[in-house]
Amino acid sequence: MKKFSLVEFSVDHPKLIVALSIILTLLFLTQFPKVRTDTNPKNMLPPTSDVRVGNDEVEKTFGLYEDMIVLGIQNEKGILNSDTLGKVQRITDEILKIKGVAARDVSSFTTIDNVTVEGETLKVGPLMIMAPKTDKEMAVMRKALFENPLFIDRIISKDGKTTAIYVPLEKGGNGKEIADKIREIIKTEKGDETYYVAGDPVARDTFGADMFKLMAVFAPIAGMVMLLVRFLMFKDLFLSMTLMMDAMISIVWSMGLLIGLGFPIHIMSSMAPVFMMAIATDSMHIFNEFYFRYREKKDKRAAIIATMNAVSRPVRNTALATAAGFGVLLFMNIIPVKVFGGLVAFGTIVLRVLSFSFIPAMFTFVKDEKIEKISRSEDSEAGGSSFLKKLAGLGIRKPATTVLVGVVLVVAAIIGISKTVVNNNLVEWFKKGSDVRVADTVMNKALGGTSLGYIVAISDKDDYIKTPEAMRYIEGLQRRLEKLPVVGKTTSVVDYVKRINRVLHNDDPKYDAVPENKEMIGQYLFLFAMSAKPSDLDNVADYPFRKANIWVQLKTWDAKAMESVIAAVDEYRKENPTLMVFKPAGIAYFNLVWNHEVLWDMVKGLILALIAVFAILAYDFRSIKWALIGYIPLLFTIILIYGVVGFVGKDFDMPISVMSCLSLGMAVDFAIHFVSRLRQRMKETPGESLADALLWTAARPGKGIMRNAILFAAAFAVMLFAPLTPYITVGAFIVSMMLLSALMTILYLPALITLTQGWLFKGEVR
Amino acid sequence: MKKIFLLAAALITVVFVSGHVHAMTADEIMKKSQAAFLYPGADLKARVMMKLVSKGGQERVREMMMLRKNYGQPGGEQKYFMYFFQPADVRNMTFMVYKYPGKDADRWLFVPAINMVRRIAAQDKRSSFVGSDFTYEDISGRNLEDDTHAVVKDEKIGDCDCTVIKSTPKAAEMEYSYKLSWIDKGTFLPIKEEYYDKKGELYRVFSADEIKDVKGHPTIIKRSMKNLLSGHMTEVSFLKAEYNVGIEDSLFTERYLKQPPKRWIE
Repeated sequence: MKKFSLVEFSVDHPKLIVALSIILTLLFLTQFPKVRTDTNPKNMLPPTSDVRVGNDEVEKTFGLYEDMIVLGIQNEKGILNSDTLGKVQRITDEILKIKGVAARDVSSFTTIDNVTVEGETLKVGPLMIMAPKTDKEMAVMRKALFENPLFIDRIISKDGKTTAIYVPLEKGGNGKEIADKIREIIKTEKGDETYYVAGDPVARDTFGADMFKLMAVFAPIAGMVMLLVRFLMFKDLFLSMTLMMDAMISIVWSMGLLIGLGFPIHIMSSMAPVFMMAIATDSMHIFNEFYFRYREKKDKRAAIIATMNAVSRPVRNTALATAAGFGVLLFMNIIPVKVFGGLVAFGTIVLRVLSFSFIPAMFTFVKDEKIEKISRSEDSEAGGSSFLKKLAGLGIRKPATTVLVGVVLVVAAIIGISKTVVNNNLVEWFKKGSDVRVADTVMNKALGGTSLGYIVAISDKDDYIKTPEAMRYIEGLQRRLEKLPVVGKTTSVVDYVKRINRVLHNDDPKYDAVPENKEMIGQYLFLFAMSAKPSDLDNVADYPFRKANIWVQLKTWDAKAMESVIAAVDEYRKENPTLMVFKPAGIAYFNLVWNHEVLWDMVKGLILALIAVFAILAYDFRSIKWALIGYIPLLFTIILIYGVVGFVGKDFDMPISVMSCLSLGMAVDFAIHFVSRLRQRMKETPGESLADALLWTAARPGKGIMRNAILFAAAFAVMLFAPLTPYITVGAFIVSMMLLSALMTILYLPALITLTQGWLFKGEVR
Repeated sequence: MKKIFLLAAALITVVFVSGHVHAMTADEIMKKSQAAFLYPGADLKARVMMKLVSKGGQERVREMMMLRKNYGQPGGEQKYFMYFFQPADVRNMTFMVYKYPGKDADRWLFVPAINMVRRIAAQDKRSSFVGSDFTYEDISGRNLEDDTHAVVKDEKIGDCDCTVIKSTPKAAEMEYSYKLSWIDKGTFLPIKEEYYDKKGELYRVFSADEIKDVKGHPTIIKRSMKNLLSGHMTEVSFLKAEYNVGIEDSLFTERYLKQPPKRWIE
């Protein structure tokens, strides 16, 4: 009876409880200035994960940069004119001066290595020193560009309308500052050119800014919407404010704890405030009941205690179920999901503690006359309640038909689920028309592709990569990969060898091929190393020439794109046996691995959540049978939603998969409230028929359920207007899930209970 | 009394000597340094081992015979002939440079696998020498007139008393904004050089790691260049070095580029 004493203590010392809550809240608030965000998709998986360790190793072996900003420059009239090229030159010069830019490896017209031949002389140097002025000079430039496969689709598009400046960042370089400086530089240039600033660091910054927007703008708006809807529902500012405070306290506590423990905020945890506001609405059952009870008792203290008596068990167990739904996320492999799960689970527990302390304490501050006024308007027969009764009545009168319709829907949904495509596309997390999406689309259309994967060829002998055998093999593999529709361009050490071969033979296209012996290859590579930037060779071959790195530029960020590349490599290797093995790497590969993790996490999480929720239901109802009955509307809702997701063809991505566990934890609340209140009612009024008891439950706690669902939906509907698609996805998912599961509870539970009453009540005293 | 006298003598010597060094202008110091560093002897034959070390500790090795002959005064014309032993697949590759003061150098390369000599146009003196952290300019020296030199201070590095000279390129399009050189007051060899980039940050460091006397010429037989940005480093050591070996002019021709005389590459 410990919980009881907390309620009584709170009612007896309301001021102390409220003061304590406020002090604790202020304490947690002091942690807020330390907030930092983590928008690096890499951190979805722990640094010790195989894919990250492998990628780090590849980056180290081939001296690759982690971060690169790409500046796309487009001119509809073509960029090969002295004016545009002059701009390219000026912009590049300015970019080289920016702090944090790895100036030595910036690729642009004026910095990229060009090996050409003129008569007997080999010319090595930057492609362009000064922008060509005469037509003749321009013709030379055009030829140099379009005859060199290393340039096409990299610094010049096939149609000659687009170029790009690739700006790698030093480790620890501030991507946002550098991108901003680049934007300033291009602002000073006038003319027909359009500029696109793209690349991971830019995307991450935009992402971070959007995350703050969600927390600082959309979450408060959601809070205000809930306040308003609540006020319209209860015409009671006190209740609305109390619930709001309740939610705010839990948000501040849990976010403060998260920040204080040194965790950065990820995409998922940025949604936590909205979730907690929504979960806080569960306390509404307390208000709902309080007003009913007050009318019966007319004594505030007694009403509070009686209310808590009646609702404590469901409120406690729904909180437990919700916490469990989020808690299972702690067992996931994806870090932001884990953190989010822990965060909201903690917040839910805080909310539950507040329900038994803060809320009862607040009740004591309201004037009796006011409560009386409100409680008078609370009539179970009025307004929404009659609709709910009709709904439940349908289930009671035609249980078989209702259930049959449900079965048909489930079958349809399962067909939909079978069509599900698991895919994560990080660029599509940005809305269509957003700068990041537009830049990515333009660059993918014009140049080789923005998503980068690597295929590392590994042999067991030093210098093996220099053999014609290895070279031809890699060349063949490149041609095979380039046949895939998702692959835009591939680059390897072979391309450099072929280029030198051709140049040494007076630019004769016949020699644009792998040389016939190892000495030639070795000497060409040496010549190349003598002339080009060291990084050019380092990026594609390791020091002992045991490994070669094939760059595969993909035209889409779909995780499955890399899957098709790996499949093509395997297939090629099967057809052409070799001693070399091939290992995938790069961000595109990371996305693929992460995508698999998302799927397995979901399966694991769903199973865990199903077990946990079932256990809680069984414990709460003290009955497996009732737990099963309570379970069905829940499963029904989830299957239906995922069916729709499958039919619509929406990618099954991380936010969607996380929702599967959460929705179990949240939607189960309704079943718990309904079943426990029904059984309580039946105990309290023994003479009443089952149908009447069901109708009463649908009208009274049912009203709370419906209000709860509407409030939830109202809060999450705000997210539909958020700047990032995962927010929209989550918003849409929760809105439909809440409304649907409330409907299912009120329609299907009565139908199922009516249909199975013989089995359900067997052995029970009726 | 004797002690005081000695002390006074020592003081006078110090004042005189240091005063003498200070009397030299930065230009003069750099000129003497160039002579000591890049022009000692009438010619030089050195077997050179170059180790390229990546940030991750991977190594690439280049081993070559370097033959150099002076034409005229220090700062004047020089010819270089290089024969590669390592990496194994470039054995027999040769490289020849005619260096002129105040004019772009001429370079030729012999590619044995296709038995072909190609001239290489030097568009960029700052480009890497055989993939190392040394540029062509670092190997053969930079024209002193291309920079303005100024004495910054005196500083001791290890046991060496050095004058620190700041050299600022006159041309704006250089990749570095200035260089600091620590010139040993005794040998005039550069003990350390620091290159500062356009953002004013130190990014390349040269250091003379071992100096030995070879036939009366103090010679840096071990040196390194480290790129602080890429973490890449190159170590160069002279396995053998000899001055005044009597290299004939005819060595520096296309004919010997294709078929270097045995005596010069052993």
